[in-house]
Amino acid sequence: MLTLVRIVDGAARAIRLIHHRLGTSAGRPMSIQHPQTCSHIEHSYKSGDPVTLDVEGQPVTARIGDTLAAALMSAGIAGLRETAGGERRGVFCGMGVCNECLVSVDGRQSQRACMIKVSGPHTVRRQAFQVLLPAQASGAAPILASDLAVRTPDLLVIGGGAGGLAAATVAAGAGLDVVLVDERAMPGGQFFKQPGAAHRFADAIAIDRQVAEGRARIERARRAGVEILSGADAWGAFAPMTVGVTTGAQSLLFRPSRLVVATGAYERGVPVPGWTLPGVMTTGAAQTLLKTDGVLPGRRVLVSGNGPLNLQVALELARAGADVAAVAELAPRPGIARAGALLGLTASALDVAWQGADMLLELYRRRIPVLYGQGLTRIEQADGSLVASLGERRFEIDAVLMGYGFLPSNELLRALGCRHDFDAARGHLVTWRTDDCETSVSGIHAVGDCCGLGGARAAADEGVIAGWAVARALGRPVDHKNLSAARARLVRHRRFQTALWQLFAAPRLHAERAEPDTIVCRCEEVTLGAVEAALSDGLPSIGEVKRRTRLGMGRCQGRYCAPVLAALLAERQGRPIDALAFFAPRVPARPVSISDLVRTGAPR
Amino acid sequence: MIGERRVPAEIGTVIVGGGIVGMCLAWFLAEEGHDVAVVDDGRHAGTIANAGGLHVQLQSRFMRLYPEMVPEFERTLPFYPRAVRHWQALASRLDEDIGLAVTGGLMVAESREQYEFLEKKCRREQQLGLEVEMLDRAALDRIAPYFADSIVGAELCATEGKVNPLLANQAIRRKALAAGVAHCTETRVTGLAQTSGGFAVETTRGPMRTGRIVIAAGAGAAELAAHLGLKVPARAEPLHMNITEATEPLIHHMVQHADRQITMKQLAAGMVVIGGGWPATLAGAAEHPTVELDSLIGSLSLAQHVIPRIGSLRLIRTWAGVNTSVDGRPVVGPVSGISGLFFAIPGDAGYTLGPLTARLVAHSILGRTPEMAIGEHTADRFNS
Repeated sequence: MLTLVRIVDGAARAIRLIHHRLGTSAGRPMSIQHPQTCSHIEHSYKSGDPVTLDVEGQPVTARIGDTLAAALMSAGIAGLRETAGGERRGVFCGMGVCNECLVSVDGRQSQRACMIKVSGPHTVRRQAFQVLLPAQASGAAPILASDLAVRTPDLLVIGGGAGGLAAATVAAGAGLDVVLVDERAMPGGQFFKQPGAAHRFADAIAIDRQVAEGRARIERARRAGVEILSGADAWGAFAPMTVGVTTGAQSLLFRPSRLVVATGAYERGVPVPGWTLPGVMTTGAAQTLLKTDGVLPGRRVLVSGNGPLNLQVALELARAGADVAAVAELAPRPGIARAGALLGLTASALDVAWQGADMLLELYRRRIPVLYGQGLTRIEQADGSLVASLGERRFEIDAVLMGYGFLPSNELLRALGCRHDFDAARGHLVTWRTDDCETSVSGIHAVGDCCGLGGARAAADEGVIAGWAVARALGRPVDHKNLSAARARLVRHRRFQTALWQLFAAPRLHAERAEPDTIVCRCEEVTLGAVEAALSDGLPSIGEVKRRTRLGMGRCQGRYCAPVLAALLAERQGRPIDALAFFAPRVPARPVSISDLVRTGAPR
Repeated sequence: MIGERRVPAEIGTVIVGGGIVGMCLAWFLAEEGHDVAVVDDGRHAGTIANAGGLHVQLQSRFMRLYPEMVPEFERTLPFYPRAVRHWQALASRLDEDIGLAVTGGLMVAESREQYEFLEKKCRREQQLGLEVEMLDRAALDRIAPYFADSIVGAELCATEGKVNPLLANQAIRRKALAAGVAHCTETRVTGLAQTSGGFAVETTRGPMRTGRIVIAAGAGAAELAAHLGLKVPARAEPLHMNITEATEPLIHHMVQHADRQITMKQLAAGMVVIGGGWPATLAGAAEHPTVELDSLIGSLSLAQHVIPRIGSLRLIRTWAGVNTSVDGRPVVGPVSGISGLFFAIPGDAGYTLGPLTARLVAHSILGRTPEMAIGEHTADRFNS
């Protein structure tokens, strides 16, 4: 009862705050300072301290430690970067992949609002397609790659989610020198994402089991001696065993004895008319805003897509005070036909199954309809809100969440030459691995969703298995009991995951809901019509379509459009979908500034 | 469906290589009424990978590296200004904008010694008929006020420029197709032999018989020539390229350095393309062009050293372009003793020289007098 009171109380506070912020145009006036003369460097702020941002000349109240995306969204500012075609884009993936939420912060262009934390009274500006350059700059002396600092730990782990943390903890516990690099400000990844220090209802979040478990896992990794580098971009991998990492302060090269790649997954893009409008975002992005900062994506929300995450996030939003109009689930209503899937749930998975039943019950109690067999068909901008259509049904809302499943973030593994095979059932490439989670390239292990979707539980146990494999390879004793337990759990997790997929089995959408003028490639604004025109001219390969249309040439590197194009090519030309069906992996894996790449920094 | 696609069994002219040379040549021949098929492997042709710089002035880095080859470089120098004029003529015949801008090229010097070297080079190039001049720092700042303090001056070549290869290749391809060219993509030539009436061509999509074959396959020419018992020492030279996100218009010229491996140009859409001849590799059995860490760091470091303001830009993509290098000269025109065989390989700066090379070979095939003497640039020099 007490926890319920806390949730309600926390939600009420969040809503008050949001209402307060939506009406803040008359907030505390601030003198706009030039970033250079701004005193926030000397000024010592504490996490959670209120601070006034200058956003396009308007004062916006934020808190130190907020992600900038959350601060902007809670002020009702959804439209951020401007495209070449003059459209506005907002937070879409919420995890640094899509590059749609770019803003200029204190004169630094192309900052991902979803990835950076408010640390002072920043000046925030929208940015045009052609980013601005500083009026003056001084270049650094020319360097070569050999001038960059090189680190050679026993093990480098890339990714601080469930899998990466587990691998790092086991290997460090076995006495190895382990460095874990993680792109985010805080480890935990997507499943164990941690609340920011400035979270608006920290009490309510503290009781979240998932958050608490994540916190404990991070703590265990630290205690085991893992060196965690947060805010570190693993921008490129070069065979045989070199990984380039920028920390903002320094450009580093890692040449570890062993490598564990645990880069997770990102949400599949499904082009639907209007899916590029600000206010349309992935389910994961909305969950991150809520869990990390306690900010709702909007007051009225429609959740759409496929899979249990949508149900979970719909509930979490509702509990935090959002008015969830409906959850549109592509899969048909569970019935006798799929009872077999339920039977497949093992005893150990029943707990999770019960959580699912609980979720449905609570959605029912909250009068949030779950519309089975339905998906988004269109989103339009209305006066200050969005109108989303599911066929004939229309919903006037503030935010639309799209959760149509995940795709593995396998770009580093592919760049390193690890073998991948297309899994038609799951609709994505799967990394070839041994039972020890070692890839086809000796010394490189891969765990979790980056190898093929399996969920955070499986990722964690794969991490344990890879951690012991690395320990053994480097001559450390293996705790076989611990290893066998992880293997046994992994079997159960995989069985459960298979059952879950059967339960939520639905047609996989590619471009079926797109119209000729619907954008398929968000970065380069390539429409389905343009892709169709290229496809109907001869029998072009994927690379040729890319060159003809510019599809996939933008900042996100084709993460959302390449799978759609691969599916279209398979359908139109009968091309097999295999590792060659996608764009060749390119360096950098993520956009990275030239200055950051060549910054030698202080010698270690 | 893809696996069943066949090449035409009989055709008047087969062009091997669908890069800038092959597609221009196909168009030029087809509009004269010839039936032409272009066969392209599609793995790493110039089509895929060019940066689009239009070079004219001598590359001082090569002159310093290979002083003994300077006479060879000077012999081909007249090709370059003419090649840019061919690009301009070509652009006027295309239906869409290809981002062609002959805005001049700057070769910057960072020391007195480099500047003096450029002065000597400039005088020599003027004697050879190029439009070049020296700019001291003040004069440089008037037309390009963005260089690092360390830059002391530059040589300006007014006829250099840039073109967007993605746009240009598409526009030329459309013209070729409209003229009736058969474009056989993802097709590799696996065998080539003389027959009584011409040539038998084996491909991965079936055999072809043809009266005339043109080898416009860049570095692939060596292997193709060998099928006919000929030697053409063409080598693939995979080179590293970088491209940034789009930024406001800043760099109007093509920029090079007198002594360092760096070239920069800004596309009309705002992206900055950074190269300079840093090596890449052809990896694995499929010879996949692959970038190297050393080249990435080296080229980007120089870019921000020469134009510091672009340091804040984010790198969004790198790729390996494949340049073809022979002996500093093109390999063009017919081959003594093998009637119906032609080569069309520009040698260095293949993209710049592409349309000109195609025109010279087209004239040679059509029995017209090419506008420049090509006799000394045939494959015969390797096969006497």
